[in-house]
Formats: sequence, C-alpha cells, structure tokens
Amino acid sequence: MGEIGILNVGAGDTKLVFDPNKPEDSARAARIVRDMIQRGFAILVEVDDGKGGKTFARATDFREDTYEYIIADDPAKAPETDAETPAVPTRRRRRVVPATDTRGVAVARSAGG
Amino acid sequence: MPDQQGVELLEQFDNWAELRNKLREVAVRHSEWAGIPMPLFDRDLSLVMEPKYPLTEVIKVVEQVHHEEDGPPDDRIDPATLRNTFWSSRDRCWVHIQEQDGKIVWFRSGDFNHVALMLATLQASKAWGIEQERNAIDLLATLVRHHQFKQYLLTGMLLESSKRSGVFYLFRRLRPTIAMSFKGRPRVLCTLCMHPIGYYSDSWAGAMAPTDDVIAHLMLMRGDEHMFWRRCNQHPSWVKQSGI
Repeated sequence: MGEIGILNVGAGDTKLVFDPNKPEDSARAARIVRDMIQRGFAILVEVDDGKGGKTFARATDFREDTYEYIIADDPAKAPETDAETPAVPTRRRRRVVPATDTRGVAVARSAGG
Repeated sequence: MPDQQGVELLEQFDNWAELRNKLREVAVRHSEWAGIPMPLFDRDLSLVMEPKYPLTEVIKVVEQVHHEEDGPPDDRIDPATLRNTFWSSRDRCWVHIQEQDGKIVWFRSGDFNHVALMLATLQASKAWGIEQERNAIDLLATLVRHHQFKQYLLTGMLLESSKRSGVFYLFRRLRPTIAMSFKGRPRVLCTLCMHPIGYYSDSWAGAMAPTDDVIAHLMLMRGDEHMFWRRCNQHPSWVKQSGI
C-alpha cells in the first residue's frame, strides 16, 4: 500500500492512500495527485537509489490509469572527453514508480520568505 | 494522531480554532489540497501569498476590509530627497543619505537585532493549531533518522547533507535553512527562506505549521535540490532575515 502526505495549512498533513483493496480511494487519490502536479505542487517520492538504499525524487507526471509516478532521473554523467573523442549528448531518463509501492510528500507552490 | 476528544479540549482554549476549522472545510470543498491560509487581521502581519494561489485576491480583499475598519495608517513625515541607501555590514543596518534644507544628512534605519521579527513570529502563531503541528511532527518522524528527530525535538534544528552537491543544510523551525560548505574553509553559503502557499509579512512565520515548513525544505532538498534553491529567497548570513 502506498501513501502520500500533502502538507496542509488546516491539517498539518493529509494522507492519500493507494490501496489495491480500495479502488475508490485509490481512484480519488490518483485524481488528486494528477491535479496537484498540474497546479505546480512538487511531489517527492521515495525511490531506489541504485545502491541498495532509498532516496527521494520529484515526480514530473502521474498516470491515473495505472497509478504510476513518472520520475525524471538525473542525466547520466558524461564520459571524460578529449580533443579526439567528442562529447556524447546525454538524455534525461524517465523512470516509472508504482504509487501502490511507495510513499511520498506533496509540497504546494511557495512564496519566498 | 491526537484523539478527537483531546483535540476538542485543546480547541476550547484556542480562540482561532473555529475559523481555522471552517477554512479547512472550505478548502476541502474547493479542492484546495494545501488548505487556505488564515488572515490574522493585523496590518503588521498581512499574508504574502504564492503568486499563483487562486484565492490570493480574495484574501487581499478580506485583509483590506479589515484594515479599512481599523482606520487609515499613521501619517508619515514627508521624507527629504533621498540621495542614496546602502547596507552597513558592520552595523547591520541600512544607511540613508538625504538632502534636507540644502544640507546632506544621514541616518540609520532597520533593527540592529531581530527581536522585532521574533515578536512578529510569536504573534503569527495564532494561525496554527497544536493539532496541525503535532501532525507535522508525526510526519517528520517518518522521514528522518532517530538522532535527527531527537535533535529536532530538543533543539528545533536538524542537519543533513546533500548526496548530490555535498552542501550541508541546517534545517530550523521558524528560521531560514542555513546552507553551508565544508569543502576547504567551512563557510555559510547563504540562508534559504521559503514557505508553501504563503507567509506573514515581516516575520518568519509561514501559513503552515512550523514543522510543515521544515518538511517542505527537507523534502525539496532531497528530491530536487535545484528546485529548492530556485524557490527560496536567498538571504546572506549578515542580514536580520537570515535569523543568524
């Protein structure tokens, strides 16, 4: 079961749950996550760091039909180049993370301070 | 999570609880997922909102109405022609040079310490409920290690470094986050100030409970450090807004 906490003025934080046994709750949560992304919320989701541990990454999109976050990975480090070896352009890779398997925090757009 | 009876008991002593709860209900009805910040009806603590927040104009109107009921602000003395203004790092204040009756005069303005900011922040605490702060602390507990959580509970601060950049961040309750580098000579890079939705002017108080602001800083740093720096106002360590 995955969940996401939305930092909230009136509640401290409110929780959305992605539970395969509760399809209505999951559908509602999916709608809200999609809406938040469109409104500019930052959705920070826990992901594998590739070294056996966990880290957080920002979801740039969300698939409502499959309940998956789309994470844009950092671009792969460019190889060392010299005068004879041209630089290889890198492309930002995207990763898919199931919302039912992870947790996250949603942060609204901000005013400075 | 505090039980409902406990919350109701707390709210009996909180004159702002009813308004806070009503705003929460309205926010849910209107799909404002981060909630609606509470105007404090205080000219010195007006809300500074995130520019695209949909209810910004409504809140401005509400605050404006209240200010009009208070009456016009005090008259200000007509200033002479201002020639120049600069920041004095030594005295931690602004120095103004102006012309008066054909003579050049100068004076200092701004506070030498940040007691006024502290008092304004204390005033703004009306906006938050104990329940909201408690929920935020419960969430923070799931996001940091035990020693960080203990440090935060006991000191109001926690330290974490970015695996990406190597920058150390001292996250503080009700103060901007301090970004530090320990590569070579240890130094403060700057302080980072940011509040989701909005904050109360001339204070360190955000619209959300204090620990929610800390969580916002921590999570943005972890998940998208570039966005964290982009969204923050960056204050040098020597100005009072830095809280140092």
